Amino acid sequence: MNDQLLKPIIEARDVEKHFGNFCALKKVSATFYEGQVTAIVGPSGSGKSTFLRTLNRLEQHDGGTISVDGIELNENMKNLDAVRREVGMVFQNFNLFSHLNILRNVTLAPMRVRGASKLEAEAKALALLERVGLKDQAAKYPVQLSGGQQQRVAIARALAMDPKVLLFDEPTSALDPEMVNEVLIVMRELAHTGITMLVVTHEMGFAREVADRVIFFDHGEILEDAAPDEFFNRPKHERTTAFLAQVRHGF
Amino acid sequence: MNTLKKYPGWVIAGSMVGLLAFLWILAIPLSWAPEPIGPAAQQFSEGARTTVELTVISGFFGILLGIFAGLGKLSSIPPLRWLCDFYVWLIRGTPLLLQILFVWLIAPAVLSPAIELSDFACAAIALALNVGAYNTECVRAGILAVPHGQIEAARALGLSPMQTFIDITLPQSMRVALPALANNLASLVKDSSLAYAISVVELTMVGYRVQAESYKPIPVFITIAIIYLILTTAFTSLTSALEAKLDVGRKR
Repeated sequence: MNDQLLKPIIEARDVEKHFGNFCALKKVSATFYEGQVTAIVGPSGSGKSTFLRTLNRLEQHDGGTISVDGIELNENMKNLDAVRREVGMVFQNFNLFSHLNILRNVTLAPMRVRGASKLEAEAKALALLERVGLKDQAAKYPVQLSGGQQQRVAIARALAMDPKVLLFDEPTSALDPEMVNEVLIVMRELAHTGITMLVVTHEMGFAREVADRVIFFDHGEILEDAAPDEFFNRPKHERTTAFLAQVRHGF
Repeated sequence: MNTLKKYPGWVIAGSMVGLLAFLWILAIPLSWAPEPIGPAAQQFSEGARTTVELTVISGFFGILLGIFAGLGKLSSIPPLRWLCDFYVWLIRGTPLLLQILFVWLIAPAVLSPAIELSDFACAAIALALNVGAYNTECVRAGILAVPHGQIEAARALGLSPMQTFIDITLPQSMRVALPALANNLASLVKDSSLAYAISVVELTMVGYRVQAESYKPIPVFITIAIIYLILTTAFTSLTSALEAKLDVGRKR
């Protein structure tokens, strides 16, 4: 893929984040382009989730700059609201609103933030729920659904805002093994629609087959940033080789 | 219990209608009772109405106070936190009777002479302040019980802090806070009896008067005890139905 032809949508420059004395991100720089699917991998505690969470300011960076679709993320709340409208997020623990049914979960943000009418929002929500295969569950509550179903609803909820970018924070890590696939299938389908996706994941199969680009995080730094083929077959860094060996062999 | 779980909406409507009907027709069955209850039926009925009015008005403002002070206690602004801490400390540390008398005595001194607060209003203010302080702790606990991920999800979707509070935090915290709030409301029904000290003619005051005239305290106090029981039953079935209604989608 030729980076010159692509439009940058997220630009992170020298992003730093400290938790007390611990430095979670050490001057991380990366540019993400429209329509690109990026898998972010690395050992736990390497800063990959923290980095993802700084991109919609769920975590405030304390150094460097981040701009999303030309809007800089800073103290300005207007900028933040504008960015959050364009950036959807899917969480490890789904975080569906437990007191609202599935349909209300999906319609809430479009109605409150975009000012959509109830009718429009519901029509769109039902179409999205159909797309993730859960239209018949619309009247249920999150607790009544399996983990995999909840995560698919969470994806539909994020899509309802028509985001330009979707952030996935370990979307399959809290799932029972037999439910991982149903979520990955939905994500794979999404990847082909041209939406920009940043996926923090431990699913190497997904990274290899679906991503356009793989980023490897270790100790708060980006060690490797390459196309999947190069990343998996010809890693440059020895830490990457060690990580891949670990992941391949499992236990 | 099962009907309550299945049709909380009907139970809410039913207990409200029941309560109103009870207050409306109370004088009729009481007038059939022998001396000393029968002749005073109208007084008992009016006293019960005053008790319910006191409870509903101070209960409503007590909830509002509880929500504001509960939020204030969690605020990031220290002076606001101190103010709310002080309020709860003051109210919980002094007897309710004293608070009622205090409001009643202080109101004419601090208000302009043009505004004249009735005894009823003084009692309602004192009761609201009192139950509000107890509600504060329930609301605070409820808000703290809302998982952080719920708030993050709302913020990530672009909801403002205010929208997040109204749509997500408040309803979810109420699921946790409601049983304790209901408990406070049941106490309030009975606490309202202390308003007699500033000559508000509520149920207990009526009891005092009737027994003083008739020299028959036992049947009089049994009657007002029964009326209180009916009132608290109506209020608690109302709140437990509300609980059941809010309980949807909760993890067990």
